[in-house]
Amino acid sequence: MNIVAITACTAGIAHTYIVAEKLQTAAEELGHNCKVETQGSAGIENELTAEDIEKADVVIYAHDIAIRGTNRFANKKVVDVPIGVAMKQPKSLITTIEKKLAAK
Amino acid sequence: MPLNDILNADIIDLNVEGITKDEVLRNMAKTLLENGYINDTELFVKDIYEREAEGPTGMGAGISIPHGKSTSVTRNGIMIGKTVNPIRWESSMSDDGYQDTHLIFLFCVSADEEFARNHMMLLSELAGKLGNDVRVTKLSGAQSKEEILDLILCEDDQLGEVDQLLNEEEIVDLDIDF
Repeated sequence: MNIVAITACTAGIAHTYIVAEKLQTAAEELGHNCKVETQGSAGIENELTAEDIEKADVVIYAHDIAIRGTNRFANKKVVDVPIGVAMKQPKSLITTIEKKLAAK
Repeated sequence: MPLNDILNADIIDLNVEGITKDEVLRNMAKTLLENGYINDTELFVKDIYEREAEGPTGMGAGISIPHGKSTSVTRNGIMIGKTVNPIRWESSMSDDGYQDTHLIFLFCVSADEEFARNHMMLLSELAGKLGNDVRVTKLSGAQSKEEILDLILCEDDQLGEVDQLLNEEEIVDLDIDF
């Protein structure tokens, strides 16, 4: 799968970046392509391009504050989870998405 | 050099005293005050608790990452404390919502966004390194300041291996909305 994700946490200092790394690693270990945009205190980093979004099979929002720029994902399949879910179970999140996509 | 500000052996304490979260946070704040990172321990601790109230900062493997922005901060940095006693800490990794913490990364970040921005790229890069479970597992067992600093600063592919990951995840189906 081609996965794009956005992470955003309350303080924008720690979880945003930790979870970005976890999702990236989990996706790669499970054989998927993944790009994660972080929306934190450092601003928007690793910003998703129109091409990234076009190619994506699924979009993951892992957040506990509002995500900026969600209009970019109209017509995409979006999975919206609290950042704690991606923190604790990044691999389960991705395998569950994979199963759900396959079942559609 | 911003990196020498942010990670600094002077603000690594391998023997943080205390048996409660409050005691260890206050002892660590005292070290930050003594090293010129903050100018008001009461205010700093209050701001840390404000963030703590919004969600757990225990990240498994006996590690916690309290953090918050505070106007009391005069230098941005990450204080690292190894506690003498296990500390009960709210956790996003356990089923009962708590973990025993013995290693604390206390992020000390200015509430002045202009001031913090200079360091935020570096802080975010260092935070991201804690998303690697091999690094986290090794940090959990680290015994010296040098070992801790080396583990944080090295690249992922220099980490080597561990017998067993402390944050090993059992893969289950999640109930998610599509």
